[in-house]
Amino acid sequence: MSALNVIVSNIELVADGIRHFTFIAADGGELPGFSGGSHVVVSMPAGNRTYRNAYSLLSSPADRSNYQIAVRLQEQSRGGSRFMHEQVKVGTRLDISWPVNLFPISRVGHQHILVAGGIGITPFMSQVHDLLRTGAGFELHYAFRSPRHAGFIDQLKQLLGNKLVCHDQSQGQILDLHALLSRQPLGTHVYVCGPDGMVDALIATAHELGWPDAHIHNEEFLAPPVGEPFTIRLRQSQKNVDVGAEVSMLEAMEAAGVDVPYLCRGGACGRCELEVLATDGVIEHHDHYLSDAEKGAGKKIMPCVSRAKCSFIELNL
Amino acid sequence: MQHGYWIRSKPIYHSLAWQYKAQAHVLLASGEGGRSVLRLYQQRLPDQPVTVLYLPAENEDYSAPLVTVVGTSLQVFPDARELWQRFDQVLQQSRMGTRLYAAGTESFLWQATTLAVKHGVLNADVMREQPASLARPVYCVHCKTTTHGVTTNIAVCAGCQRHLFVRDHFSRRLGAYMGLMIDAEDPGNVPDAEEVYP
Ligand code: FES
Repeated sequence: MSALNVIVSNIELVADGIRHFTFIAADGGELPGFSGGSHVVVSMPAGNRTYRNAYSLLSSPADRSNYQIAVRLQEQSRGGSRFMHEQVKVGTRLDISWPVNLFPISRVGHQHILVAGGIGITPFMSQVHDLLRTGAGFELHYAFRSPRHAGFIDQLKQLLGNKLVCHDQSQGQILDLHALLSRQPLGTHVYVCGPDGMVDALIATAHELGWPDAHIHNEEFLAPPVGEPFTIRLRQSQKNVDVGAEVSMLEAMEAAGVDVPYLCRGGACGRCELEVLATDGVIEHHDHYLSDAEKGAGKKIMPCVSRAKCSFIELNL
Repeated sequence: MQHGYWIRSKPIYHSLAWQYKAQAHVLLASGEGGRSVLRLYQQRLPDQPVTVLYLPAENEDYSAPLVTVVGTSLQVFPDARELWQRFDQVLQQSRMGTRLYAAGTESFLWQATTLAVKHGVLNADVMREQPASLARPVYCVHCKTTTHGVTTNIAVCAGCQRHLFVRDHFSRRLGAYMGLMIDAEDPGNVPDAEEVYP
């Protein structure tokens, strides 16, 4: 995948543990256009390994002079968010991927309800610009622990006025999903991004109320979990790749110079799917992409987040 | 002649079944579709409010049994225009989680779907049943007239009187199967029509 070379032009702390980065093109020109909901994958060369994480673009898609992302310092960071917080300074050069949109606003929807929890606000930052521009009916519900955790709140208030509804948990303002989802007119689409519990609760509530699947959208990129080391055997390229406890299969293959396509690196998009030919152990599927039946069959794996408890796994690559 | 092979544009219909996870249910039926509603009412009723809009057809009027079975949830319409007006209103007032069901002739099903789509419902989220008759609405590609209730593989166009071969190609936009002049190459040579869509 060809990369874009950017330079960090600004860094701000926007909320507790959340840093806001602005990138400009290293050649000083315009950056590629994107649509609301897009993300880029940032490559982070930390010592002898490269982390790659997906981050939503925050700025208005109409402005191509810069890109902006927000990075929350993960308590159990595998290194990516810590690298962004500790190593990256104004003037640092980084490679990022072209923008990809896995979370677009439905074109056929008549009205849109966006629901964000904490740092889950990020994909909506660019979407609201698109929605304002097209004049579509929408509301943004933003739930956060306390005002200290509410990144971008002033900017959003100014931009959205009464289209923004805040749910400040420190004030006891709990987002009532059932009430919200039961009063929407026909033709409404709902979009959610936030902590697992919130996403799961919203999807379950919508299903219970009879919302069809095609009206429910969520963006949930997972971080690859740690596990035990094992070896990948690549049938076609006749290579063996060792996967350490704290790297993903995808990262291990990349480090070994094997090109594996990807888009989200978070088990959501399906782009990295590989065929499993054999293993002497069991696959640990962590993705949201494969169906339960496919996971059970054990013929496919999403190497960006899944791994195996085995001594070897053989892939058709 | 075309037999029932799989063709992408030919829609597949199912028997109506309640979608129990819902906020409300709206059923739309015409003529023979009344029977589908009666059959649906033999299943365990959902807890949420139900609205049934029914348009009787000549010789196919299930209003009487529907009144008995459905009761006050039923509204019967004297003509199609009023039914569509009311359906439009109902959609306007409906919330997400309202399940939509339609039963009737093929052109009726797609008219209902088209109207629902205007309100932001996705095509696949309208449950459709085509009861009993397989009669086809046939759109004449020559004079653009739709001839309703065609039960034969070759039919005379109600608009231009051409003999049309009834294809399996279905247009969801027009709610009809395409009819092409059969004796264009060899005028007057029209094979016997067979009743294949009784
Ligand atoms: S890259 Fe998207 S699922 Fe692996």
